[in-house]
Amino acid sequence: MDTYVYKKRDELFERAAAVIPSGIYGHLGPAEGCFIPTSAFPFFAERAEGAYLYDVDGNRFIDYMCAYGPNVLGYNHEEVGEAARRQWEKGDCMTLPAESMVELAELLVDTVDSADWAYFAKNGGDVTNLAMLTARAKTGRDLIVKFVGGYHGVAPWMQAYGSPGILKSDVSNIITLPWNRLDLFRDLLRKNPGRIAGLISTPYSHPAMYDSELPAEGFWSEVRSLCTEHGVVLIVDDVRAGFRLDLRGSDYYYGFKADLICFSKAIANGYPVAALCGQQAFRNAVGAVFNTGSFWLSAVPFAAAIKTIEVLKKIDGPALMHRLGEKLTNGLSDIAQTHGFTLLVSGEPALWNMRLTDDESGVLHQAWVAECVRRGAFFTNHHNLFINCAMTDADIEKTWEIADDAFRAVRKNHAMKAR
Amino acid sequence: MIDSTVLASINLHAVLRNLETLTQLDADAEDLLNGHRCAIRFSVPGIDRLTLTFDQGRCQAARGEAVPASMNLRFSNADHLNLMIEGKKNPLPTKGFRSIGFLKRQFAGAADLLSMYLRPDIKRLKSDPDFFRMATVLFANTAFYAAAEVANLDPVGQALLAKIEPGSINVTAGDDFQVCLTNDNGLSVRQGSSAAAKAFMSFDSLETLGGVLRGELDGFVCIGRGQMSFKGRIPMIDNLNKLLLRVEAYLS
Repeated sequence: MDTYVYKKRDELFERAAAVIPSGIYGHLGPAEGCFIPTSAFPFFAERAEGAYLYDVDGNRFIDYMCAYGPNVLGYNHEEVGEAARRQWEKGDCMTLPAESMVELAELLVDTVDSADWAYFAKNGGDVTNLAMLTARAKTGRDLIVKFVGGYHGVAPWMQAYGSPGILKSDVSNIITLPWNRLDLFRDLLRKNPGRIAGLISTPYSHPAMYDSELPAEGFWSEVRSLCTEHGVVLIVDDVRAGFRLDLRGSDYYYGFKADLICFSKAIANGYPVAALCGQQAFRNAVGAVFNTGSFWLSAVPFAAAIKTIEVLKKIDGPALMHRLGEKLTNGLSDIAQTHGFTLLVSGEPALWNMRLTDDESGVLHQAWVAECVRRGAFFTNHHNLFINCAMTDADIEKTWEIADDAFRAVRKNHAMKAR
Repeated sequence: MIDSTVLASINLHAVLRNLETLTQLDADAEDLLNGHRCAIRFSVPGIDRLTLTFDQGRCQAARGEAVPASMNLRFSNADHLNLMIEGKKNPLPTKGFRSIGFLKRQFAGAADLLSMYLRPDIKRLKSDPDFFRMATVLFANTAFYAAAEVANLDPVGQALLAKIEPGSINVTAGDDFQVCLTNDNGLSVRQGSSAAAKAFMSFDSLETLGGVLRGELDGFVCIGRGQMSFKGRIPMIDNLNKLLLRVEAYLS
């Protein structure tokens, strides 16, 4: 199988490096994105359509990162694009909000199980931060509990002490517990009566760098009961998993009801919008928090979000992505086995995590991912991957072919003890 | 916030310990010290002792008190040592008065040579490849050994170390520079590489290594260019990078 080369990539990166810190910063960059080795990965997209990403060198990738989640229906989705275009012709960023804001709020209230209202922003971090402020405004308490590895954005309180620019005082009111440890949460509540404002958590543990972990049996129902009993606001950060597991919210999917639930990423198929939804009891508190941004009420993303949710409902997107994800990962595991490797798949099929377990350092996994990317399946090493609704069985079969050839290359290039 | 105890520990176990490498790399240092035997112990309250043993033109650095010393230099506190490093205060010898001549001449001369490499003349750095090589190796040594002191003693460093799993990280710039950092209930550094390392930080040249550590090159850009690469357990590397940023605050 031919492998890709990247010539324009390097020219463009040099231009970027001259004028942009890091060349490409953040999670799309080669460093934060864990492109290992960087020579195997594309850096810049020329265009994208459906399930595919085309880089500036003309290489086509089946894109299993989906822009890190936003691409849920397929890039450049015609109906979503048309809805956005119609709104754009009327107006986008204006002095007053458009009707599309109200329509999207109505749709979310009708769709999301725990939503009695919706409040909009741009990025996931905007609404996780707003949820934290709302919890404190509602309870008058200081402490926020989160789980190890839980990523809720980049505001100082969401980061770890020791990260550049983060002070101890930024995180002094944040308590971090291991995932699935109800005993520790109970203990914490007992020792801090009347001090904990909120618990923020993703619906299941899907940290970067580590395996995903589903909630243990009874975990969420007990967390819900304890939060209610102790007056703790239960915040579900559904930014990454939202609209991929269940359109009614991932809390509904796992059988409980959040007080506040945060969405972004997949809500508008790539158009920039985030939503905090919540129960009636929190309406006044969220309204009292001063929080806004120049582009938060732009009308085009609202129109795109309405169409995205309508299409996801029509095609039962979550069920489709579950089926595709399960098929893909079962096949990948089988192919790994035929080459003498063990591929550990974790998390939910629509946004699964995977890791070769054959060496402790992860070097073999990194080598395999690099070989897949060189052949046209865009995976990253240490982040969960995503399915979108534009993917087909043919894409999955092509990915299996790529994975097979990539395993062969790894076997050839890396001496390994026979298992 | 800079903690003077951490800085003193860096000065001992990252800066002064570099005399060991200096005598391996620099013939002038070797010539200067040849024919002299002396083991100097640096004693600062609250900090692991450092013993530098000079013999046959070479220096060996040892942490703690296992190695016997012929001379003891006592410092009243961390600030006292830090001021000595800046040349503003003298140590207080409490043992080995007969070695004061060595201290004033050979040791001081070697320390001056070390300082010449650690605070290099920029023009010479660019025009003299041998000088560049030695200055970069010594500077990189200082940075990685300092990372261990920061990880073990500085509050921010301790928070970062808590996120580095047990095991080793190999840092290399080809055959020119190789150190291995190991977290085993504390971070330690040694020359060379570990066959069982879990994480790898590689630089394609001393130019890249020196440029990144001195802040002259954008490390993230170097990654994009493939001049610097990581593999293995990335959280170990990520937190080592953050430790190096903290080192910069101490050494700047």
